Amino acid sequence: MAALCKVVSRFRCGVWSFRFIRNCSGTSGSDQPAADAPRSGFAAAFDLQSELRREAERTAAGGSSSSSGQQEDFASLLRRSPLVQMGPAKGRTVVGRIFHVVQDDLYVDFGGKFHCVIQRPEGEEGLRRGSRVFLRLQDLELTARFLGANTDTTLLEAQADLLTQLDSKITENKVY
Amino acid sequence: MGSVLSTTPLSFTAFQELQTRSRSWLTFCGTQASMAARARRLCLRVFVVFFSPDSEQYHLSFYTEQILSKPLQKPDFFRLSELVSLKDLFHARVHLGHKKGCRHRLMVPYLYGCRLDQDIIDLDQTMEHLQLALNFTAHVAYRGGIILFVSRRRQFGHLVESTAKDCGEYAHTRYWRGGLLTNSSIQYGKGVRLPDVIVLLSTLNNVFQQHLAIRDAAKMNIPTVGVVDSNCNPSLVTYPVPGNDDTPAAMELYCRLFKMAINRAKEKRRQMEILQILSSSSTRKS
Repeated sequence: MAALCKVVSRFRCGVWSFRFIRNCSGTSGSDQPAADAPRSGFAAAFDLQSELRREAERTAAGGSSSSSGQQEDFASLLRRSPLVQMGPAKGRTVVGRIFHVVQDDLYVDFGGKFHCVIQRPEGEEGLRRGSRVFLRLQDLELTARFLGANTDTTLLEAQADLLTQLDSKITENKVY
Repeated sequence: MGSVLSTTPLSFTAFQELQTRSRSWLTFCGTQASMAARARRLCLRVFVVFFSPDSEQYHLSFYTEQILSKPLQKPDFFRLSELVSLKDLFHARVHLGHKKGCRHRLMVPYLYGCRLDQDIIDLDQTMEHLQLALNFTAHVAYRGGIILFVSRRRQFGHLVESTAKDCGEYAHTRYWRGGLLTNSSIQYGKGVRLPDVIVLLSTLNNVFQQHLAIRDAAKMNIPTVGVVDSNCNPSLVTYPVPGNDDTPAAMELYCRLFKMAINRAKEKRRQMEILQILSSSSTRKS
């Protein structure tokens, strides 16, 4: 398989160089060399792919991703995080993963600070530990200030409603 | 074993044989020996072998002083800054705090801000505090100190206990009896050795009450390292680490970091002692 790929790539390179030579001979009268003309078709795709590969190698070798322009400081990480981009949690749909099951209670982690506990709907036996579900969030943390208290009382849980079970092909949406 | 060490000419090739012989002797002693007990026994062996009532005793204390003072010359002797990065903390959700209404007023300096009523902990400060805490714990482990992991969160009890077991230290994740530290000589007998540092992975008993270990450790002059969330009181904790203590990802990160720091420090101590044995016997031969 590897040998076949090498043969194919060499063939492709051969084709590309052949086309370049043909272009050169076609526009030999003009001042501009063929390299400055807008590439199209295979040549453009080849340039793009080699550029991407160079970029990937550079970031892999360099370690930090400063070349791509993305900063690693806390402020920009927070601003770009899905939790902040999501906005208010009420009514938002997220994907969660069940990490614990106690008879009819399903403990679902959707990427927030807390997990949520939802009741297993009747007849739904396919929900087990590790299965992914769609949730509609109501609250990220259930807290309330009671009379005479200094601070809020927190239940250390989030609140969400179960929508449907997720198809296993779709990737998990991380919210943090 | 002492006679073997004094008569065997210690060359470089015989050194590995010495290592394997001492290791096999220790495993013969007890297969359940923890790493801490093994390190202490190795210390004891060094003292037993080289003790003699002449000027050699001066050399002994000189060597132990060298072992103890060398880590203090560099700020990050165990290279613990390479264990964790800010991105690791972020992906483990360490920056997520409780809601605004649960905030403790003394945690305000450690907070980055409040986003839609949820407090966000400043991870730059958390990084600094975490480096200090890990460095301190590693130095205590290097010097053979007892480290006690405490957490009353039932969700992470097993995790904390297995962490302590993996690094050869101790954990207390059950009900804290009142006089555990303050009344130890009566409750547990005289001469009980108290922990040298208490690592609190969650400073709260329940959401209303702080863990008694913080107050009792302060009374007994035991330094504490504690992960403080936005609803915790960081006053009496010696090395507070502002961070999330409710998410399993964050707790697993802390446990892994402390375990790696302690194991590194103990490994370093073993290396230093073996080097000292080697250098002292070579100087004695010459």
